[in-house]
Amino acid sequence: MSNEHSSKNRLNIYGTKLNSRLLIGSSMYPSPYVMQQAIRTSGAEVVTLSLSRQNPQASGGQAFWESIQSLGLLLLPNTAGCHSVNDAVNMARMSRELFQTDWIKLELVGDDYNLQPDPIALVKAAEILLSEGFKVLPYCTDDLVIARHLVELGCEVLMPWGSPIGTGKGILNPYALQALRDRFPDVTMIVDSGIGLPSHASQSLEMGMDAVLLNTAVAKAKDPLLMGLAFSKAIEAGRSAYLAGPMAERTAASPSTPTIDSPFWHQST
Amino acid sequence: MAMLESGKPSFAERPTQEAKQGQNKPPIAILGAGLMGRMLAISLMEDYQVFLFDKDSKEGQQSAAYLAAAMLAPLAESADCSREIMQLGEMALALWPGFLKRLDTPVFFQQKGSLIVAFEQDKSDLKQFKSRLKSSDYKVVSDAEMEQMEPGLNPHLKSGLYLPNEGQLDNRQLLNAMASTLNNSDVFWFDHMAIESTSSGFQVAGEPLESFLNESIHCNSRSNSHNQFDWVLDCRGLGAQADEALKADACDMASNIASSTKMLRGVRGEVVRIRAPGVHLTRPVRLMHPRYPIYIAPKTDGLFVVGATQIESEDTRNPTVRSTLELLSACFSVHSGFAEAEILGIESGLRPAYLDNEPKIIIKERLVSINGLFRHGYLLAPVMLQQCLTILKGSTDEESFTQIMPKLVENHSVKPRR
Repeated sequence: MSNEHSSKNRLNIYGTKLNSRLLIGSSMYPSPYVMQQAIRTSGAEVVTLSLSRQNPQASGGQAFWESIQSLGLLLLPNTAGCHSVNDAVNMARMSRELFQTDWIKLELVGDDYNLQPDPIALVKAAEILLSEGFKVLPYCTDDLVIARHLVELGCEVLMPWGSPIGTGKGILNPYALQALRDRFPDVTMIVDSGIGLPSHASQSLEMGMDAVLLNTAVAKAKDPLLMGLAFSKAIEAGRSAYLAGPMAERTAASPSTPTIDSPFWHQST
Repeated sequence: MAMLESGKPSFAERPTQEAKQGQNKPPIAILGAGLMGRMLAISLMEDYQVFLFDKDSKEGQQSAAYLAAAMLAPLAESADCSREIMQLGEMALALWPGFLKRLDTPVFFQQKGSLIVAFEQDKSDLKQFKSRLKSSDYKVVSDAEMEQMEPGLNPHLKSGLYLPNEGQLDNRQLLNAMASTLNNSDVFWFDHMAIESTSSGFQVAGEPLESFLNESIHCNSRSNSHNQFDWVLDCRGLGAQADEALKADACDMASNIASSTKMLRGVRGEVVRIRAPGVHLTRPVRLMHPRYPIYIAPKTDGLFVVGATQIESEDTRNPTVRSTLELLSACFSVHSGFAEAEILGIESGLRPAYLDNEPKIIIKERLVSINGLFRHGYLLAPVMLQQCLTILKGSTDEESFTQIMPKLVENHSVKPRR
């Protein structure tokens, strides 16, 4: 497609323009080697990484981080596992020191079992981090009002969930996501979590979402490399479909050519 | 020599086997007395004069082998490893009893299968686990069957798989039995000796490795024409991480992603050991967990090993509260009898792993490095041992496990020795 990588058709994250509309996670792969290969195959240009449980104060994850950094892609550290505003803010600051990036995927656990984000703590933490110059990518639910608060604070990117982390259930509430898309047309909207199949990713892009972020769907596939490739294609297809302008959905069947076995006055169009 | 003056164990203190003296066996050096180092020493002591060097005490408490739960579960592991590792693990399982017979003292070993269980809310994890197994040698079991197999299990565990061929052993019994066997042999075991790799070769306690050959001649008052080791076997695990030569090699080929698999890293694991005489499990039980497998492995005398976490970190601190809570709650949720169990220890350690999490034997002239056994030390050790013996004997490829896993062995020798 001629405009595939035109400026208009590039993903915008706080002014950084990217060709790939897939952001990918770095955990749960069978090995770091498989992770490296799957990420390369997926074509993703942004890799998220979690510092929690690695004792980042002592650079405990250094060897693993190097395996990610060796890919030469943009890093998006996250605050996964943080339960309080204070924890998340401290983790963000540490990430900035370690990886020399202002980007932070802000994630605050509100419920330990399904890792649903805590929207109130999220807004508080986002406000602090934005005031410190961070470029905050908040992982949120599809709640319109919380989204508005985040945008008003200065978030240029929103990362609403499709469904809870790791469930692979896809987009459970397309209505809510579409409402977010329609109400914030200028905000970069990345569907984060719940993407299980390439078709879920396609659906997200077809809806006009700017990108998807996923991890488990590729990491836990039997063949993560092939699944990475599948997502790459699905995302490209979804984006192209959005740009192409889908036909309008109809309630009745409408043959694209006249049927020859019925008289013309029986044909509805 | 410094070591003789510093109160470290000397040759005179070591038991020697008179019968072996005077045979002038070729000398071989083994660096690292963890699982692989000890197994190699025992297997080679008939044909070689073995020199075993280790930074640790003979209890081996710093080795990954000391911490491990010593599961021998090739099929269960296949959910997250290659088919080749599974096949090698199956072969290794069959080799264990033969090796254990060579030891002076008995070691707990069983092959009664393992039970994989999940709570209702995690049954999709079990389904995914089942779909990832690389063999169909398992049986889906109902809750009634599970109760028959393990009567004390939490009745809320509704879903299960039985993997009949899985096994386990008691790792600390094994390490002790191997230490005892080695102590009763003519093997020269230098414990508490720091080993480092330099551009001019290995240094042990600041002395060139080869200098220990002279000492042995002196101490045994026997003629010995050897002025170098026939082979040096490097089994230091993560102790080899600082080996600059290894890293330099990997950097040279940094543009090639495959070469980066040679970078050795530590993967943190945390394990709980508890004593619960009132809990009776016949076989290891693995509980589905979204991030890593948690085993409850019953050993002897009411001892249970519960582990292990798997965290991409080289953090060497003691176990964290979160990990301890996860392990203990997993344990209690499987069998309420663990509530009053005695916690014997909660320990952490690092598993040596290459980037592909698969083991490698790297040959460079007369140096053979065996490393990267990751979470599969006990699963694969007998196969790694056999492969090393094959290399030392110069046997043909047909006898080699590289038939199954070609990348198991890399020969970097300028002129292959044999």
